[in-house]
Amino acid sequence: MADRDQTLIGSGTFVRGRVTGTGDLEIAGRIEGDVSCSGDVLVDGSGLVGAGISARRIVVRGAVKGDLVAEDAIILEAGARVVGDLKAPRIAIAPGALVRGHVQTGGAGAARPRSAAATASRASSASAAKAAPAAAAPARTEAKKAAPPAARSAPAGNGGKSSTHRSSAGASGASRVGPPPPVVPVLKKGTKAALHHKKR
Amino acid sequence: MASTVIGAGITIEGEVTSDEDVIVSGTLRGKLVAKDAVTVEHGGVVEADINAGPVAIAGSVTGNISSNDRVDLQNGAKVVGNVKATRITIADGAQFKGNVDMDV
Repeated sequence: MADRDQTLIGSGTFVRGRVTGTGDLEIAGRIEGDVSCSGDVLVDGSGLVGAGISARRIVVRGAVKGDLVAEDAIILEAGARVVGDLKAPRIAIAPGALVRGHVQTGGAGAARPRSAAATASRASSASAAKAAPAAAAPARTEAKKAAPPAARSAPAGNGGKSSTHRSSAGASGASRVGPPPPVVPVLKKGTKAALHHKKR
Repeated sequence: MASTVIGAGITIEGEVTSDEDVIVSGTLRGKLVAKDAVTVEHGGVVEADINAGPVAIAGSVTGNISSNDRVDLQNGAKVVGNVKATRITIADGAQFKGNVDMDV
């Protein structure tokens, strides 16, 4: 029977566990577990998948909470609700479909999300570095006015303080990753060592 | 018309709960609970306890079968496990190893 090559999870059916294999899969019910299939996967309007789907072609009209990875294409039709990353050579998102997650089209490249995160952190650290001198500049001028000989040590100390401030702020706000690069004034030979001794 | 079909190429590892008919042509490991009929087709493999309405088996089942209606072991069926049902038929050519409990 040709009909038997097609798998259908009916609307009254709940699967808790992994679904793997060949052939096509139509989901009108609920699956809590990974779905991986060499054929096409169709998540119907009443379908609900609580984990990732990997298949040749994925068509979603229902809800998926998990990553979608397709060898051929991902098609999100109107009414689709997807929370998770999408990755396929071709991705179609129809008006009326909801997506929350990273979307990546094109060939294989599993490192893409990580590199994106790296560039994002680089960008944020660069902006932090831009902000750091601006914040440190008034402090430096004040220090120069107060005690010219100590001016060189003051910004470094100030910079360290402000960086701790910033890192504590960064812990609450996720946009800043780590402390910004320290503001390093031009130092004579040996002063750096003296500074380290002073700190301790 | 069956509402849930596990196709020949598909393997499910886990628990399947259904309010509808379930037809297994593929492989199911874990547990199968259905309110309605369960059919294990020729070539279908179930390594799970089955709790259902009418059960018809032409494939392979390893596990206990409990039905509130009838269990039919058809020609070509291979069943290892206990069967609990009000009515049971074992066709010629069916292999069966286990106990039968008919609630008498």
